[in-house]
Amino acid sequence: MNSLFNRPKLVFGASIALRAILLFYGAWQDAHSAIKYTDIDYMVFTDAARYVSLSGSPYARDTYRYTPLLAWLLVPTTWPGFFSFGKVLFALSDVLAGWLIAQSLVSAYGMTPARGLKYASVWLLNPMVANISTRGSSEGLLCVLVISLLWAVLHRRITLAGLLLGLGVHFKIYPFIYGPSILLWMDGSHRLSSTPNPKGKEKEQEDEKERNKNPLNLLSEFLTPEKLYITTLSLATFSALNISMYILYDIPFLQNTYLHHLTRIDHRHNFSPYSTLLYLSAADSVSGRFESLAFVPQLLLSVVVIPVVLARKSLPGAMMAQTFAFVAFNKVCTSQYFLWYLVFLPFYLPFSSLKSPKMGGLWLTYQALWLHQGYLLEFLGQSTFVPGLYLASLVFFGVNVWILGIIISDVGSLRV
Amino acid sequence: MRRRITFVQRSDSPFSHDQAILTPDTLTIRSLDAAREDRATFAFDEVLPEIWQVLKHCHQLHIRWASERRYDAVTPFASRVSAGLHVFFTPGSIPGDSLDGLCILLKKVFGDELDCTTPEESFITPPILSTRFASTPTFQYYSSLSSVEGLVSYLENKICGSDSECRAQAERLRSADSVDLNYDSISHSLTVSGFWSRSAEGWSETISKHAAGADQIEIGLLGTERAVEPEEIKMGGLLGVVGRDDQLKPTLFSFPSRHHALPEDATYSVSFPGPTGLHPTMTISLPSSSLNPPPAPPDATCALHSYLTLPSTIFADKYQLSSTDPLFLESHHLVALRAVAGETDLEAPDWSVSNWGSNWLLELATPSDPGQVGEWNVTVPLHLRYLKPSESGYRSASVPWPVVFWACTAEDGTKMGVNPFDRANLGWDGLFGTRTMFYQLHPSADRLVEELEVPVLKLESEGLFQTRMIEVGTVAAIVFGLLWVLWKLGVVARSSTQSEESRQKKAK
Repeated sequence: MNSLFNRPKLVFGASIALRAILLFYGAWQDAHSAIKYTDIDYMVFTDAARYVSLSGSPYARDTYRYTPLLAWLLVPTTWPGFFSFGKVLFALSDVLAGWLIAQSLVSAYGMTPARGLKYASVWLLNPMVANISTRGSSEGLLCVLVISLLWAVLHRRITLAGLLLGLGVHFKIYPFIYGPSILLWMDGSHRLSSTPNPKGKEKEQEDEKERNKNPLNLLSEFLTPEKLYITTLSLATFSALNISMYILYDIPFLQNTYLHHLTRIDHRHNFSPYSTLLYLSAADSVSGRFESLAFVPQLLLSVVVIPVVLARKSLPGAMMAQTFAFVAFNKVCTSQYFLWYLVFLPFYLPFSSLKSPKMGGLWLTYQALWLHQGYLLEFLGQSTFVPGLYLASLVFFGVNVWILGIIISDVGSLRV
Repeated sequence: MRRRITFVQRSDSPFSHDQAILTPDTLTIRSLDAAREDRATFAFDEVLPEIWQVLKHCHQLHIRWASERRYDAVTPFASRVSAGLHVFFTPGSIPGDSLDGLCILLKKVFGDELDCTTPEESFITPPILSTRFASTPTFQYYSSLSSVEGLVSYLENKICGSDSECRAQAERLRSADSVDLNYDSISHSLTVSGFWSRSAEGWSETISKHAAGADQIEIGLLGTERAVEPEEIKMGGLLGVVGRDDQLKPTLFSFPSRHHALPEDATYSVSFPGPTGLHPTMTISLPSSSLNPPPAPPDATCALHSYLTLPSTIFADKYQLSSTDPLFLESHHLVALRAVAGETDLEAPDWSVSNWGSNWLLELATPSDPGQVGEWNVTVPLHLRYLKPSESGYRSASVPWPVVFWACTAEDGTKMGVNPFDRANLGWDGLFGTRTMFYQLHPSADRLVEELEVPVLKLESEGLFQTRMIEVGTVAAIVFGLLWVLWKLGVVARSSTQSEESRQKKAK
C-alpha cells in the first residue's frame, strides 16, 4: 500500500480517473434519464453564466447567490459543447486542493511526501468529494481557495495569503473566521521557526517575560508589519472586489451575495439546531427572539476562543475546529457545508485519538436519523417537524459538539 | 337596465310550444329543460355610486367566477375557467390614479374572506404574449371563492331593496355555475351575467316587463344545429322581446365562435397521487377519446394545452418546467411551458408571499397514435410552500382543476367579434392570437377542486411540544453545547500554560 503513495503520479492519476469516469457517467445519465446526475445548482450557475455572456446580470437568475466571478468563470459553459466545462473546473480544483493538502502536510507536520500523500488521499480518492464536484457543485472551488490560503500561510507567501483571504471572504463570507487564527499563528515560534536558534532561546524567554509586563509592548509585539500587511491586503482585496461588483451589478449583488444571508425568509428544514425555532419565529408564533443572537455563540467560538487557544498549536487543526464550530452553530446547515470542514480531515487524522472511526460512525448515524425524518416529511408528507426533525437536529448538534470537543482536545494535545 | 335571457336546449330535449307563452306583458315558461344565461346590462348612471367610484378608474374590469361543482359548458357557452373568482383589471390612463378602492369593493361585494389589499400587492401581472390581442389585462387576481353568497346578499341588500323580481334574480345566482361581470370604459356599461347548465325540474317562471317600462327583456329559446363552416356555430329557435313583441319569432343564424365544445366523451380528470409530500405531482388523465384532434378547419394547427391556476400555497419551478430536455418533457408528457405569471419564488414560505399565486400555460404532448393508449397521463411536478404551524400538524391547500383545451390557430382565420355569446378575458385566451379557436375538454369529477394535506409544524397548546418548549429546548442545547466546547478549550488552555510553565522551570 505504501508503495502506492510513493508514486504520486499514480495517486493523482487515480483521482483524475475517478473524476473523469464520474463526469462521463454523469453525461451518460443526463442524456439517457429524466433523472439528472447534474446538480440543480449547476443549472443555476450555467444560467447565470448565460446571462453574463449576453452582458446581463447573473442575478437575473433566481437563487443565484454567488459572486459574479463564478458566473464569469463559467462563461465557457455557454459555448457549444462546453457545458461540462464548470464540472471539469470544479473537479480539477479538487485535485489541486489534494495536491496542496499533501504539500501542506509535509511542511506543517514534517511528514514524508509519501505519508502526506496518503492522508491527502482521504480527500483525493474520496468518492463523495468527487461526486459533489462532478455533479457541478461549486464547493470544490471554495475548498481549493481555503486550502491554498493555508498552503500560502504555511509557506510564508504572505501576499498570496492576503489575496486569497480577501477573495475567499468575497466568495463565501465564512473564510473570514480564518483571519484571526492566521494572525495568531504568525506569532511566536512560527515566526522564528525558519531560523532556529536553540542557544538564544533561554534569553529570549527572559526578554519575553520582561516585555509581557507592558501592555503597550504586547500590542506592538502583536502588531508586526507582516500582520498589518496581510490584514490590509486581505481587506483591500475584499473591498476592491466588492466595490467593483457593486459598481457593475448594484443592489442585486449585495442582496444576493450578502444581505440574503441576513434577511433570508426561507427556513426550510435543515440540519441546524435553530431550524425549528426559525420556522416558528418566521411564522410569528414565538415571543422571544433568541435566534437573532445565534451569531454570538457561533462567532465567540469560531472567531475568538478557538483561534486564541489552538492557532499557535496547529494552524490547520485550529482551522478545522473553527470551521466545525461555525457549521455546527450556524442558523442554516445543509450537507454541502460539511465539505467545508471535510477538506481539513487529512490534517486532523494523523494525530486524531483512536476515537475517529467511532466519531465518524456516530456522525453518519445521526445524520441518517435526521435524513429519515426529512424523507418522511418531504416525500411521504408526514408532519415530522416536531418532535422528529426537531429532536434529530438537536441530537445531531449534540454529536457535532461532542466531536468538536474531541477535535479540540486532540489539536490541543499537540506539542508546539 | 337591459336584460337578455337565453335558454339553450339540448338536441334531445323535448319542446312543445305551450312551454313558452308570450303575452303583451309577460313570458311564461314551464318545465323547460335547458341551459340558461341571464345577462343584465347597466348604463353608468344606473350603477351604485360606490361601484362607479371604482369603475371610473378602470379601463377594463372583467370578473369571472366558476363553481367548483361540475357543470356542462354547452355550446355556445363552451368556455371555462378554473373554479373560483378571477379578476382581470386594466387601470385607466390617468397617471397616479388611486387603485386602492378595487380591493375594498371586491371584498364588499364578494365577501371579506378575499385576501386582497391593493392591485399592486395582491394582483399579478400577466405576460403579453400576443401583441395582436389588445385586451390582455394589466392586473389579475384569483381567489378560491367557493360560492357567490356574498354577491347575492350584496345585490339583495344594496341594489334590489324591495323589488321582488330583482331579489328573485339575485337569489337565482346562488345556483349559478358561472357568473361574469364586465365593464369597459368605451361602452361605459356594466354587464352581469349568470350561467346555469341545467335546472333540476326544468325552468318554470313568469318573466314580466318591468313596471317602469323603460327596461327591455330580450328572450331567446334556442338550440344548436350543425354549422356549415367548422369555425361557426349555428343556432335556431325563437326570439322575442317581452312587452314589445306579441309572439316569439322563429330564427336561424350562425356566427364564428372562438370557443367550441367537444363531444361529451372528451373528458379529463385531475389528481395528486399520494403520498404527495412537499412535492405533489399534478396528474391530468385523458382517456383516448380526448386525444382526437378537434374538428378544426383543415388549415389550422392544433395543440393541447392546460392552464393552471395555482394559489400561493403551491407553485411550480419555472426553471424546471422551461427545460428543453426532451427526456424530462417526454417523461411528463409535456411539450413546453408557454407562459407563466405571478409568484414564482422558489423558496418563500406562504406567509411572506403577498400576491395570490401564479398561472401557468403548458402545452401538453399527445401520443402519436391515440388509439393505442388506454389512458394518457400528463404530469406536472409542483412544490408546496411552508405554511404556518397548526395544532394537528397539517393544513389543507386547495388547488382548482386546471382547464384543458385544444387551441387551433389558422393563419387566415376569422375574426370572432360578431358573436352574441362571445366570451373573452378568461386569462388563458389572451395568451393566444385573436384568430385562435378553443375546443374545451370536459372535467369529469363532481368537485373540481383538489385538497392537499400539507405537513406543517405541529404546535400543541397542551403537552410537551409547545412553542415555549421548542424555544427552551433549542436555547438549552445551544448553551450546553457552547459550555461544553468552552470547557474543552479551557482544559487545553490550562494544560498548555502548565506545560509552558513546567518547561520554563526545567529550563531554569
